[in-house]
Amino acid sequence: MNVRAGRYVPFATGGLQSLLQYRSMFVVTGVTAAAGAAVTVFLWRAVYAGSPDGGTGPGGFTPAGITTYLLVAQVLQILHANRVDDEVAAEVYRGDVAVMLVRPVSYPLVRLFACLPVVAANAVLVGVPVLVLFSFLVPLTTPRPVDAALFAVSTALSVLIAFCVNLLTGMTGFVTTNTWGVRMVKQSVVAFFAGQLVPIALMPGPLAAVAHALPFRGMVDGPLTLLLGRYDGAGGAVAVLAQQAGWVAGLSVLCAVLWRAALGRLEVLGG
Amino acid sequence: MTRTRLGTALWYVRLSWFLGGVGLQRLAAYRLDFALGAGAFLVRVGVQTAVVGLVFRQVPAVGGWSYHEVLFLLGFSLLPRGLDHLFTDQLWELGRKLVQRGEFYRYLIRPVNPLFSLLSERFFHPDALGELVVGAALVTYAGTSLDLDLTATQWALAPLLVLCGALIHTAVKLFFASLSFWTVTSLPALYAASQVSEFAAYPLDIYHASLRALLTWVLPFAFTSYVPAVYLLSGDTALLGWLPVVTALSLLLALAVWRRGVNAYEMTGS
Repeated sequence: MNVRAGRYVPFATGGLQSLLQYRSMFVVTGVTAAAGAAVTVFLWRAVYAGSPDGGTGPGGFTPAGITTYLLVAQVLQILHANRVDDEVAAEVYRGDVAVMLVRPVSYPLVRLFACLPVVAANAVLVGVPVLVLFSFLVPLTTPRPVDAALFAVSTALSVLIAFCVNLLTGMTGFVTTNTWGVRMVKQSVVAFFAGQLVPIALMPGPLAAVAHALPFRGMVDGPLTLLLGRYDGAGGAVAVLAQQAGWVAGLSVLCAVLWRAALGRLEVLGG
Repeated sequence: MTRTRLGTALWYVRLSWFLGGVGLQRLAAYRLDFALGAGAFLVRVGVQTAVVGLVFRQVPAVGGWSYHEVLFLLGFSLLPRGLDHLFTDQLWELGRKLVQRGEFYRYLIRPVNPLFSLLSERFFHPDALGELVVGAALVTYAGTSLDLDLTATQWALAPLLVLCGALIHTAVKLFFASLSFWTVTSLPALYAASQVSEFAAYPLDIYHASLRALLTWVLPFAFTSYVPAVYLLSGDTALLGWLPVVTALSLLLALAVWRRGVNAYEMTGS
């Protein structure tokens, strides 16, 4: 496996170019994210409607705090929508992946580099406008600078976790042709256990335990714990980041192992 | 060849029946795909139900709606959506690529109505069975828990409410899919509209007034679930009278746009 970054830069610029051909996609992503955010935000604001301003309601959230949580969760989801799952699935399904295998590069790394511009473009062109739009509609909390910095680091790690999860989802293309169904299941389950729809702090014990044991928590709940300052001193913050880093490492290994196994299978099927 | 109107109608019914049967054959041929597709809806609705459950762990009522009332609304919203999905999802293909790839002409050269021709290419989308089954189960469960005692009128109207809701879903989909005749592909618009329809699964009362107005009078998804559910739950008919009007107007508008699009396509087609 060749890990020299220089070889992968062309894939990053190529990814950006193909992305800019479909500029209307940003509008769709924006509308989708705004709609998703509006549903969850309004639903939970109705719950916190009885809580006094400044006081805390269920889970120790203030009304502004829960709004910020759900909205930023939606923005994080935009960063995680890197299209790796459907692109990998489609390339496997069409057999295009074979072309990639004759090149002296690692396919998973090519995908990683190709998806980074997508993430950056989505953050700037969709995430920021959605955040600004809602800041006019609903009250939000302003994070402390240190929390914002921790959030930035945590977000970078969450993007890597999301990449691995999407790569694994895309690899189901080796097994089934209906990757649409698989992707939909992944999306629902991940959104739920990441804490995107319901903060994990509001889940009952057993469900929260499951969420804690899964890697998805590092995608949304982890970064937001840091952003809203809901951690216990420096140790608590480090624990969140360490857990995320651990999952990044673990999932990367899993991806690499499964990728090799899948390639073995591809040879059997190819002809 | 001359045929009476009744003869034509009967012929279309027979053709639909036959093509629906052909669609069913896919069930046997792609069993895993069907299981995954229907299962995916099961998981998605399961997650939605779990979210509602968690919301109501915190408070007894949201926007004046109790837990079982919201479940009833969520379940009911799946019925028209599933019914529409079962028969008309081929419209996604129109919006996505049929105009873009110049493949649309093949529906114009067949001896049937082009819209029928398009829809009949895949008349039966078994994925939707997942939605319908879950929707019916949720409505039954919530209705039983609420001790809902429907009057004879409500029982008689309920299937019509579902049908009107399905037609509204179809009209919105047809409208946005037909835009592809001018914009080459309208997938982004179709996708955005389908996303907006998700609002209809929750009580309209919790949303901002502007959003409520949008969902009632612009993209009338409120009439697919909120209005019928309010009627069935409380007998309130304030907006119910508008339902046939909104359904008819949506369909007329969508069909007009479709027809103009088909004509525009003929003019530019080679």
